[in-house]
Amino acid sequence: MSEKTKVADIDRSRYDFRFEEDESNYLGSGLTPELVSDISHEKGDPEWMRELRLKSLEIYNKTKMVDWGPSINELDVSRIITYIRQKSRMNTDWNDVPDDIKQTFENLGIPQAERESLAGVGAQYDSELVYHNVRKEVAQSGVVYTDLESAMHDERYAEMIKKHFMKLVPPTDHKFAALHGAVWSGGSFVYVPKGVRLEIPLQSYFRLNAKGAGQFEHTLIILEEDSYLHFIEGCSAPKYYEAGLHAGCVELYVGKNATLRYSTIENWSKNMYNLNTKRALVSEGGKIEWVSGSFGSHVSYLYPMSILNGEGARAEFTGITFAGEGQNLDTGAKMVHNAPNTSSYMNTKSISKSGGISTFRSAVVVNKNASGSKSSVSCESLMLDSISRSDTIPAMDIRTKYADIGHEAKIGRISDESVFYLMSRGMSEQDAKAMIVRGFADNVSKELPLEYAMEMNNLIGLEMHGSIG
Amino acid sequence: MSTVKLNTLPVQTFSWLGVNEAHRELEQSGVKAVTLSSDKNEINVLQSADYEITAHGGENKTAVMFIDPCGKTEISTSVSVENSSSVRLVQVFEGREQTVANVDARVCDNASFELVQLFLGTSDTLSEINTQLEGRKAGFTANIGYLLDGNDKLDINLIARHLGKKTNSQITAKGVMNSCCEKIFKGTIDFVKGCGGAVGNENEDVLLIGEKVENKTVPLILCAEDDVQGSHGASIGRVDEEHIFYLQSRGLPEEKIVQLMARSKIAQIVNTISDEQVRERIFNKIGRDNDNG
Repeated sequence: MSEKTKVADIDRSRYDFRFEEDESNYLGSGLTPELVSDISHEKGDPEWMRELRLKSLEIYNKTKMVDWGPSINELDVSRIITYIRQKSRMNTDWNDVPDDIKQTFENLGIPQAERESLAGVGAQYDSELVYHNVRKEVAQSGVVYTDLESAMHDERYAEMIKKHFMKLVPPTDHKFAALHGAVWSGGSFVYVPKGVRLEIPLQSYFRLNAKGAGQFEHTLIILEEDSYLHFIEGCSAPKYYEAGLHAGCVELYVGKNATLRYSTIENWSKNMYNLNTKRALVSEGGKIEWVSGSFGSHVSYLYPMSILNGEGARAEFTGITFAGEGQNLDTGAKMVHNAPNTSSYMNTKSISKSGGISTFRSAVVVNKNASGSKSSVSCESLMLDSISRSDTIPAMDIRTKYADIGHEAKIGRISDESVFYLMSRGMSEQDAKAMIVRGFADNVSKELPLEYAMEMNNLIGLEMHGSIG
Repeated sequence: MSTVKLNTLPVQTFSWLGVNEAHRELEQSGVKAVTLSSDKNEINVLQSADYEITAHGGENKTAVMFIDPCGKTEISTSVSVENSSSVRLVQVFEGREQTVANVDARVCDNASFELVQLFLGTSDTLSEINTQLEGRKAGFTANIGYLLDGNDKLDINLIARHLGKKTNSQITAKGVMNSCCEKIFKGTIDFVKGCGGAVGNENEDVLLIGEKVENKTVPLILCAEDDVQGSHGASIGRVDEEHIFYLQSRGLPEEKIVQLMARSKIAQIVNTISDEQVRERIFNKIGRDNDNG
C-alpha cells in the first residue's frame, strides 16, 4: 500500500530516496579545535562566534553524557560528519537551486506548500540553507525571515543575534547543547516587529541527506510586543544503516502580549538520534503554543521548555508521539513559572506499537515569585501490543502556596468492546483499531495545520496497517 | 558512619530537579530482626529496629508502630504475605530526629497488603516502600498522610511492582504543608511484562499552607504490558477561596478554617485505620498540636 499525501513527509517509502553526496564537500569528522576553526572559517564567522564555538567545544569535552533517558551508547559522535559544504550559495529563486536538491524538496512538497499556504519558506539541505524566500507583502511589513548566517553579517541584525544567540540555551546546558554551540550550521532567523500579526505561517524544512552526518541547525525567533507568528518546522532524512545525529537548537523570544505558535512534525528516519533542544522565553502577557508530532528517529530526547518570565505569561504544549519498531522516543515538555499569574497547560498522547518504546517526561516548576500561577498536565498512553513499552515520568516542583496545580495520566489499551462494536458495524479489525487510534489522537491533530493533520491521520492508518517502517 | 544513596527513583529523570535520589549518613545498625508473630501487634519504636511480619495459611495480621525515636534511627520492616493471607501495617512517625524507614513487601496469590503511613512532625524522614505483587490477584493499598510544619523534611519513595496477573494497587497520599517545610513524594506503579489484567491507581492531594513550602511530586507509571489499566493524578494548591468565603460567612476566622481543612485532609487517611484506639491516639495528637499551633 502506498498512499500519497499532500505533505509527503510521512510515507517513509516515499521519502527514503536519496542522492549520492560528493564526499569532497565533507569538512571531516571528529571533534577537534582545528575542525571547529575550519567550520568557523568556512562560514566567515565574526570573532565572537568563533570564540563561542571553541569555548563550546571545551565545554563539550568536559561535560558528561546524560545518565538518564534512552541509551545513546551506539552513537559515536567522533564519526559523525559535522559539516558539509553546499554546492551552491543560498538562493531566493527556486530555479537556481541545484537539481538534485530541488528534486528532494519537490518530492517533499515544499514549493507547492509555499505557493498555496505559506508566507515564507526556508529549506535546509544537510548543513546549509539552500533556499529562503518570503512573500513581498510579508517582507514589507518588516518581518525578517532569513538564514541565520546572512542575518549575522547584516549590520541591522548582527547585534540582535549576538545578544540572543545561545543565551536561552547556553552551551553549558548539556553535552549536546555544547556540541551544537561548537558545530552549528544553518537554521533560520525570524524577527517580527511590534504590532505585526502574520496570519499565514512561515515554514522551515530540514532535510539531512548525507550518510553518517549530523544536522545542527539553529533557529532564532524574536517576536516584539503585540505580534503574532505561526512557525512550522518539518524534519526528515532517508534511512541508512549508519547512525545520523540531529542536535539542533531553537531559541524563541516572545515579547509582551505577543503570541508564537511553533508547530513541529518530526519524521526523521529510524537510524537518527534526535537530541534537539528547544526553549522559549515568554514576556508579560505573552503566549507560546507548542504543537509537536514525533514520529521518526531511532532515539529522541525532546522536551521543549517554556520559561514564563513576565506576569500573565502563558504556555501550551500539545504533543503526540508514535513509537514503532526499533524506536525509543523520550518526549515531553518543561514549564517554568517565573512570574506571578502565569499559566501552563500540557496535553500529550503517546502510542507504542511493534516493540516501540515511548516515554512521556515532563517538569513543571513554580518558583516562589510565581504566586497566582496555574498549571494543568494531562497525558495519555496507548499500548497497542504487549511487546511495546510506555513510561510516564512527570515531575512537579512547587515553591509557593499561591498556586493551583493539576496532573492526570492514564495508560491502557484499546478496549475489546470498542473494536467488537465497530466490527459489528462492518469494519475490519485493523480499520476499527485505526479509527480508535485516530480518535485517541484527535485533540492533537486538531491543533495541527490541516495538511499536517491529514498527514498524521494517514500515518496512523499506515502504521496500523503495518505497511510502513 | 557512611553516606548512603537512598530513595532512588526506579527510572531517572532530569537531574536538575533533584528527585533522582537522596543521600544520608547512616550507621550500620546491626540490630537483630524481630519477628512479629501475633495477629495484632502494637509497638512503640524508640530506636533502630528490624521487623519481620509473615502471614500464611489465611492469617490476617496487623502491626501498628508508633515511631518516636531518640536520635537518628533506621527502621526496616520486611513483610511477606503468603497465599490468601493479609497484612495490615500502620506506621505513625512522630519523632523529631532523622529517621530512615524501609518497608519491603512481597504479596502472593489472592493475598493483600495494606499500608498506612502517617507523618506527624518529622524533622527529616526518608521512607522507602517496595511492594512486589507476585501472586495472581495480589493486592496492595497504601494510604499515606503527612502533616508537616516548621523545617520538616520528608522524602517518600513508593514502588508498587505488578508481577502477577490481575494484581491491584491503590495508592493515596494526602498531606498538608505549613511554614517552610520540604517534601518529595515519588510514587511508581510498575507494570512488568506478564501482569495481564493488572490495575494500578495513584493519587496525591497536597494542601499548601506555608509561605515558603517546597513540594515535589513525581508520579511514575512504567508499563511493559498492554492489558493493564493505570492512572495517576495529583492536585497541589491552597485552600479553595470559595470554601474560605463560605465558612467565613458562617463566622469562622480564616486561621481556624485553614486548620479545619488541614485536619480534614489528614483525617481522610487516619479514618482508613480500622482500630478505633489507634485512630483516637492520632486524632488526639493532631488536635493537641493544632491547639498549640
